[in-house]
Amino acid sequence: MLQYIARRLLLFVPTLIVISFMAFGLRQLAPGDPVDTLNKSGKGEMTGDLATIERAYLEKARLLQMDKPTFYFVINASAYPDTFFRIVQRARRQTLDAILQQSGNWAAVSHYFTSLQQLDQAVRNLPISLRGETSVQTQRNVQDLQFTAQIPLIKKRVELLKKRLATNPKLAASLKQPTANLQQQFDLLQTQTQFWRLYLPSFKWYGLDNQYHHWVVGCLKGNLGISYVDGQPVTDKIKAALNWTLLINVFSIFLAYLFAIPLGVYAARRKDRWQDRVIGFFLFALFALPSFWVAIMLLVLFTTPELGMQFFTVTGISDLAEGATFGERFAANIRHLILPVICLTYGSLAYIARQMRGAMLQTLDQDFIRTARAKGMPEWKVIWRHAFRNALFPMITLFGAIFPSMLAGSILVESVFNIPGMGKLAIGAIGQQDWPVVYAVLMIGAVLTMLGILFSDLLYAWADPRISAT
Amino acid sequence: MTTDTLTYQQAVWQRFRRRRSVRWALRGLYFGLFLALFADFLANDKPLFCQINGKIYFPVVQSYLVQLAWSHWDDPFTTEEWSEQKYTRVWYPLIPYSNTSIDHHNLSSTSPLEEQNVVSWRFRHWLGTDGVGHDVAAALVHGTRTALSAGMVAMLVASLIGIFLGALAGYFGDDGLYLSRIQVVFNLLAFPIGIFYGFGTPHYPADAPLGVLGVSLGLLWLLGIQFLANILAIAFGRIPWLGKKMRIPIDSLINRLIEVFDSVPTLLLILSMAAILARPNILYAMAIIGLISWTGIARLLRAEMLKIRQLQYIEAAQALGYSRWRIIFRHALPNALPPVLIAIAFGMASAILIEASLSVLGIGVAADTVTWGSLLRQISTTYHPEWWLAIFPGLAIFFSVLLFNYLGDGLSRAMDK
Repeated sequence: MLQYIARRLLLFVPTLIVISFMAFGLRQLAPGDPVDTLNKSGKGEMTGDLATIERAYLEKARLLQMDKPTFYFVINASAYPDTFFRIVQRARRQTLDAILQQSGNWAAVSHYFTSLQQLDQAVRNLPISLRGETSVQTQRNVQDLQFTAQIPLIKKRVELLKKRLATNPKLAASLKQPTANLQQQFDLLQTQTQFWRLYLPSFKWYGLDNQYHHWVVGCLKGNLGISYVDGQPVTDKIKAALNWTLLINVFSIFLAYLFAIPLGVYAARRKDRWQDRVIGFFLFALFALPSFWVAIMLLVLFTTPELGMQFFTVTGISDLAEGATFGERFAANIRHLILPVICLTYGSLAYIARQMRGAMLQTLDQDFIRTARAKGMPEWKVIWRHAFRNALFPMITLFGAIFPSMLAGSILVESVFNIPGMGKLAIGAIGQQDWPVVYAVLMIGAVLTMLGILFSDLLYAWADPRISAT
Repeated sequence: MTTDTLTYQQAVWQRFRRRRSVRWALRGLYFGLFLALFADFLANDKPLFCQINGKIYFPVVQSYLVQLAWSHWDDPFTTEEWSEQKYTRVWYPLIPYSNTSIDHHNLSSTSPLEEQNVVSWRFRHWLGTDGVGHDVAAALVHGTRTALSAGMVAMLVASLIGIFLGALAGYFGDDGLYLSRIQVVFNLLAFPIGIFYGFGTPHYPADAPLGVLGVSLGLLWLLGIQFLANILAIAFGRIPWLGKKMRIPIDSLINRLIEVFDSVPTLLLILSMAAILARPNILYAMAIIGLISWTGIARLLRAEMLKIRQLQYIEAAQALGYSRWRIIFRHALPNALPPVLIAIAFGMASAILIEASLSVLGIGVAADTVTWGSLLRQISTTYHPEWWLAIFPGLAIFFSVLLFNYLGDGLSRAMDK
């Protein structure tokens, strides 16, 4: 048995690795600059010393570990430098990436960008006497250039910049050196192309000090990162939400089994009679009823004043004092949980009952049942003592299939009924682009799913010792 | 016709059709397909036929031509709304609204039962309007198209992956696939290189990284390089040490992969994937669903292939010296495919459900697309819920899910699975 558990747990590892790749990869693809999301004020500070802004940005980036390479290694074109990841600002990295794609010569690209930054600094450092309409517009042009990736467009904007400077000779004179440098570097960028380097793959090894490694190690230690929105640890947010989700799901599964099993047995005993047909039809229909629709319908039913059925307080879990324990909250909110639990229960109930009917029919067809009947055993004893016990085995494995689908259903039901569970947390986080929370929920959902499957397998192995032998 | 002259497919079809629930489900499916195909002719704010100033137009047909840039709208249509035209003769479609047209006279949601501000009963909103003045009936008709095409795209992607992987796992098993050492090494090496040339070089359209053309060209590069690597490997395989065969436990590998995908919380993953799409489009969301939900198909096909590979005609084909790919794709696969229909039917049901969930949450679906789910979303966001916005789209979702469940159930009974 222990060996069986150990082997099953070992299978967790590749699955978790693949899911962590998915979650982490998605996090990389997600739009928006996380540092900006965390530090909304940083974006507005366009005036002031450039170095100060960069320093503030890098500090936040270091907090989020964005200043590290993404993964253990990277395979990309040899045109990219080893240290490309050090360009932490996402928008800047994308701009430089796009320019590099048109040139292939990293040295030229970086020289061009440095000259642009020098010009930016020079414009910012202009003496008060030279500041005015033109200088502000020049600064805006330089800003635009820093996010311009298409070479023809850069060309146009550099021309525009020079034309603007030409209208103000004094300004042009004081910015002469950086402007000339920019023009020169831009010319070099256009002429010194190395396209072949874009077509030559290269392998770069970064070692253990990378974002993925730190994230995974953090996850294993129970630290799921920091929320982009409020800087709170994700673990704290999830802990509270997980309680609610598990509560309603476990309760629903319990109820589903409680009602489904007698129903399945009853339908099997009345096989092909009208009771069986009616039950069969309703179970099939219940199974196809989308839970979010039922949730919405119940919401409509119990909140429309004209219908006069407002005996459930439907929306929202009431806020209790900070210090209230989970038990107190539960007692206060039990009335709110009735409808969501109904929505989550009926689908699995229908599924389990159908399976129970099938399993029961299969068992009733077997020889030992005929023997039991032949020796004159009372019918209730045949059904409950012999057939029922054997038909119950396959129901155990259903748990592994029901649990994930119920978790999925609870995402929508939670958001309709406003229950602060994992689903609501995830949907809110998606809306706010708070990716660490989203992908932490994804990982936890996967772990819960696997634990559910493992649990049902273990129960089955415990009930049927033949399983662990193989 | 007696039973022994029937082919397997015909026999299954007959057993399938014998059930009453299946016959109703089939009728429902045909009806849904009809709605989806002719949605523009059934619910449209443009007339089917009209006469203005002595000229005859067929605006619905013409709108297709205009979309293809083969035709253009004449003067009166470009300046005036369709409902404001001075027609001498006009035939409207059954529902004289489209899913995008807004009835300015019934802007806030109008109940189907109450007094409506319409010209005549012909323009009545029989199922009411939503909060912005969309006709609910028209939205339902066009939503059928969205739901069905969404399900089909998802199942197409899922079938491609599921059939390929399931066939490999089932046909070769754990002890049927042998590759030379050099072939293994070259394939492993070629994969990152193929990804690099397919998706990492300047010819990959960076501005539309998820475009159909870009992705398929990238995949083509990947396949081409993998193919090249195999040819090279065959050449190098003549060297004895390099050519030594290794057993590839492909069945176990693919089973692990199926297990991995089964423990992914599908809806959450789709939500988080759909949320990062730059331009939300239901088709992308569907392709993602397909990428995740292929496991059922793969599993069924694997089981079927395991059975088929034991059959004598496969042995005969092997004895005749046919290549293994020819045996898999020409001889084994066609006989293994029918059971996949079961998984596809159930998969359609769950894809439609997921599409509806996505639009209920408003994630991954363009904001202006009116679908079954988007009508339901209006309910959960308003304080005064309208029953007609809840009941009609919900029933549409319910019946289509029920229909595909019945089809799947009927198929599996007919094939005795």
